[in-house]
Amino acid sequence: MKFEKFLYSILESRRKKWIVIGLILLALMGSVMMIPTKLVLAKMLPGKSANTFSIYIDTATNASVKETKEVAQCIVHTLEKEQEVTDMEVFLGQGAPLDYAGLVKGSAFKRTQNQAEIVVNLTDKHHRDEPSFKMVHRIRPVIQKACGQIHASTSIRFIEMPSGPPTLATVVVELYSKNNKVLRDMAQRVSAILSHTEGLVDVDVMLDDIYPTYMLSPNKEKIIRSGLSVDQVNKIIYLAFKGMPIAVKNSKDQQDQIPIFLRLQEKFRVISGENMDALKKRLSSLKLMNRKGMMVPLIEILDIHKRDSSPSILRKDLKNMAVITAECDMVSQVYPLLDARDKMLEVLKNYYDVEKIPGITTYMFDLKAKDKLTGAEVLIRWDGEMKVSLDTFRDLGGAFIAALILMFLLMVVYYKSFALSGIVLAGSFLSIIGVIVGHWVTDKISLAFADINFFLTATSLIGFISLMGISARGSLLLIDFSKALMLEGMEKNRAIALSTATRAKPILMTAVAIILGSLLLSTDPIFGGLGIALIFGSIAATVVALFFIPVLMSNTKAMELHREKESECQDEEEIPGRLCVLTDNIKGILFPRKECSDDGNEPLRERDIFTKWRDRIRVFIEKIQKVFKK
Amino acid sequence: MEYYKIKNIAGYLSKIFLSNPLTPILAIAILLLGFISLQTMPREEDPQIEVSGGAVMVALPGASPQEVLNVVVKPLERRIREIKGVEHVYGMAMNNVGMVNVQYFIGEDRESSNLKLYDKVMQNMDQLPKGTMPPLVKPFDIDIDIPILTAAFYNLPHTKPDIVKLYKIIRDLQQEINALDNVSKTTLKGVKRPQFNVLIDLHKLSAYHISLGQIAQAIKSISTNAPMIDTENNKGKLVVFGVENAIDTIDDLKELIIAQYMGSPIYLKNIATVAYNYDIQNYQDALISYQKGMDNEPEAIKYNMHRHKKGEAMKAEHAEKAEFRDMAGQITLTVSKLKGTNAVHIAQEAIKKIQETKKKLNNAGVGFIITRNYGERADEAVNELVHHLEITIFIIMLILIPFLGWRESMVVTVAVPMILAATLFIAQLTDQTINRITLFAFLLSLGLIVDDAIIVIENIHRRLHLDIDKKSVDEIIVQATDEIGPSTNIATIAIILTMVPMGFVGGMMGQFMKPIPLNVPVGLAVSLFVAYVFAPYLARKFINFKKIKADVLAHHEKCEKSHKESNEEKV
Repeated sequence: MKFEKFLYSILESRRKKWIVIGLILLALMGSVMMIPTKLVLAKMLPGKSANTFSIYIDTATNASVKETKEVAQCIVHTLEKEQEVTDMEVFLGQGAPLDYAGLVKGSAFKRTQNQAEIVVNLTDKHHRDEPSFKMVHRIRPVIQKACGQIHASTSIRFIEMPSGPPTLATVVVELYSKNNKVLRDMAQRVSAILSHTEGLVDVDVMLDDIYPTYMLSPNKEKIIRSGLSVDQVNKIIYLAFKGMPIAVKNSKDQQDQIPIFLRLQEKFRVISGENMDALKKRLSSLKLMNRKGMMVPLIEILDIHKRDSSPSILRKDLKNMAVITAECDMVSQVYPLLDARDKMLEVLKNYYDVEKIPGITTYMFDLKAKDKLTGAEVLIRWDGEMKVSLDTFRDLGGAFIAALILMFLLMVVYYKSFALSGIVLAGSFLSIIGVIVGHWVTDKISLAFADINFFLTATSLIGFISLMGISARGSLLLIDFSKALMLEGMEKNRAIALSTATRAKPILMTAVAIILGSLLLSTDPIFGGLGIALIFGSIAATVVALFFIPVLMSNTKAMELHREKESECQDEEEIPGRLCVLTDNIKGILFPRKECSDDGNEPLRERDIFTKWRDRIRVFIEKIQKVFKK
Repeated sequence: MEYYKIKNIAGYLSKIFLSNPLTPILAIAILLLGFISLQTMPREEDPQIEVSGGAVMVALPGASPQEVLNVVVKPLERRIREIKGVEHVYGMAMNNVGMVNVQYFIGEDRESSNLKLYDKVMQNMDQLPKGTMPPLVKPFDIDIDIPILTAAFYNLPHTKPDIVKLYKIIRDLQQEINALDNVSKTTLKGVKRPQFNVLIDLHKLSAYHISLGQIAQAIKSISTNAPMIDTENNKGKLVVFGVENAIDTIDDLKELIIAQYMGSPIYLKNIATVAYNYDIQNYQDALISYQKGMDNEPEAIKYNMHRHKKGEAMKAEHAEKAEFRDMAGQITLTVSKLKGTNAVHIAQEAIKKIQETKKKLNNAGVGFIITRNYGERADEAVNELVHHLEITIFIIMLILIPFLGWRESMVVTVAVPMILAATLFIAQLTDQTINRITLFAFLLSLGLIVDDAIIVIENIHRRLHLDIDKKSVDEIIVQATDEIGPSTNIATIAIILTMVPMGFVGGMMGQFMKPIPLNVPVGLAVSLFVAYVFAPYLARKFINFKKIKADVLAHHEKCEKSHKESNEEKV
């Protein structure tokens, strides 16, 4: 066979063997370098085309439901130009029916006037040319421009169906400090930096705005003199302007009780204008009856003064916190995050002493800032999808290393040789070349045809882990067959070449089966990475198995037969050339046999232990019996 | 003829089942069980993620955020921190109310987590500051709280919108849907509840010299509900009587005398507008805007039926714009399912129920749109992936034909569904659901599980061509299976070992991916079994031995001939 001759010529020449090793190592270096040089981009999970997406509206903290409705209306009108939108549901002052994303984004807790959610349903994704994430990408700037400026400090966020587990936002910056004022300042600075970072959109500071409020402080003297009470004043003001259900009526034909609600008429309730005088005017017409039956105008017993509102305080794990969230616009969150962090280090230098927090943890991007003037400290922590990604990659990496160790141990048990186990491991690890190069190629193809980046994702890593097993199987079969041939008395290199040539067929067949099996997988947005990893990984694994593994096998001494060991199971060697040594190894694991274990020592030892304990127990029982007899 | 001595479990298994009449029955049983599992297993789009947590809300009326923080949130946070398994505690101090959100580590048992939270709050009830209302503990439950179906009900364009009547109709429908099997919770969003609204005219109030408090007092005093009284009469019989709520209709309320002014009574209607409509103080609202035609033929629009031809569609898109109905009020009905039940069935049942009442609704001037259907989505996702699996199996079969010949590749093609069926059945036994990730686990394992069968078949194929003239077919098959046993075992164990650590990945992602480490190792183990038990059996049934024998004999003859010839030439 041609392949056999070719391989043999490589194995026989020292120079050619080094060329093969060199080429493979070069490929490994090159492909691994693709990650830091950003030729291959990493992301946890890519976007997925869905039939729906949501829009979250947050107007200023003191905005009325009417203002929020205006923003919602504007968005709905803009979206009505879209052919692919089938229907939109607006939920004012509340969250939409809970979904996967809303669960962690606090959708269920929305109940203030400045919050609204819009659910946008699209036509079926199979009958639509544009994937939902591209559509969002396209209309986001349009809507932000048209509707974001209607009312001050409006935030419009586009929430797509997460393809994996949901997070609060793609990029989440948490600021921790004891001082609320420092937090606010820092939050503004950080959000400014994030909004100017390319690739980040929908930047939102989760802090209440501070707005003017009016405090009515009862004049104690006047209240007592006019025979009223503060409680009475409170109740009446509440009843007049906010209204209250004061009684209920049970109904025969309704499932609910019917409340009787009391409030002032619209024209007496609505305050015309935004200043203190307007409020005064409104209050002046409201009168209270005192104990003597005299009507006292409310304004007479109240002093009005202006005060800033007190914003809500947010805490996480018992520390005061401010949160800034941002979404990524069809790019991986890793690179904008690093950009923003660099910018932060640069900009914040002017006001704070900024230092990085050392150590490799999943919080490794955190910063610590100390105010140059006041000395107040702020911890800047990166959370969100980045943290989840890092955690996942850490865990998967751990899983990968555990898999490597387990496999190595298994191989050592099987071959009783570290060198051979190392070869199998090296072979399975090298499929990473294919995985990375595959992602690079797919990224280029995907950019050329669909203008979508293809990322190295967590699923790619899963693909890589499962590939290890497959390529290990290839190497294993090669080693086993070569050894078998050598047992028959064939010369080492000749045996390796022949076994590689004969095993090439099933190895290729498996590879082809995996590649074709993964073809459909690779078109899926989430598991595409897995598919690509399997396809290109098994190509690489095949090349490695057919060229690199034979070279390594020929280089190692472990392949040479140890005649002494072999003799142990000579009685089994009735059929020459069968995988006697190997068979017995595995059989030793699965069905231990006395004949083949080292002189049958182990069973004996077991019996020893057993008899020893039996004797001890017997002595013990006898002792007890003696005691009882006494 | 030498007798082959079986050395591996592979050989034993293949020998036991090779000529056993129960083998085909077992095969059919496995396939059937798998098929039943595929049909009956609960379907979901995404796997269940065990997220436990909850919120504790404590209202302290009249307190500023800083006060709430110090009095309510801080002590509560400390207490909750004492609970084992809590990952994060989020506190929020707002005006009048303090809220603490608790997030447990992912994978913590939900029921016990909820219980622990409730227990902790109840234990510390005595330490609650004065003036607070009883704390509200709300556990969140991903399966129960995420509705699988939502439908928006609205008044049809040409009818007069009557939000209260709409509410009444939907409320009845909700009751019916709640009665369906496995439906856990239904809610209504955007409802306007009926209410008597008494809106006071301030001018008249001061003119008649009445205060607001008086009115409130007057209404309160007349509209009390009291239980029936039973008492015995002089003959020892029971007499039952009760005080009726004085307000029965809107007129009762209108005719309510509030005060006397200059000797004449002042009725409530004199100083206020009294109306029976909806809760005007409720600013929560739900609106809908939809493409015209969505209410009648949603399918047509969803699947873009009016734009059949792609080329034309591109042109038409500029000219023809979708027409939308202006935003109108709506009520959204949400339906959630119980844990571990089939989203597909429940959604179908609920939709059927809604469709049944369609005529009644339309007559009442009510239209509806199904705005979310996770059941359909789950079904679609599952069916799509099952379809992918079928295609992939077919492709693999095709590709094996040139390598092995079509009979041998048939063996592999039959083996693969058997492996999947058995794995699926085991998944059902272990209380899993069919979701995207489970099916991805299958797609991923497809490449791995065909391998064992391929190796067995390839070796049988090779052995047959070597030894068919020397040994019996059965013996060759057993020998071929036995030979590759050890390395196949060890390689499969190696792959299983690589997948197992994935099960220990933590966090959301770990939970999300869980079906992969759960199912792939099972699939691989089953694939070994199938490769040793059924592949040899199928090979014995499918492969045309006579042809191979003839081929081999012909080949030998040819060889001998050429050998002879070459010998002759030499001579």
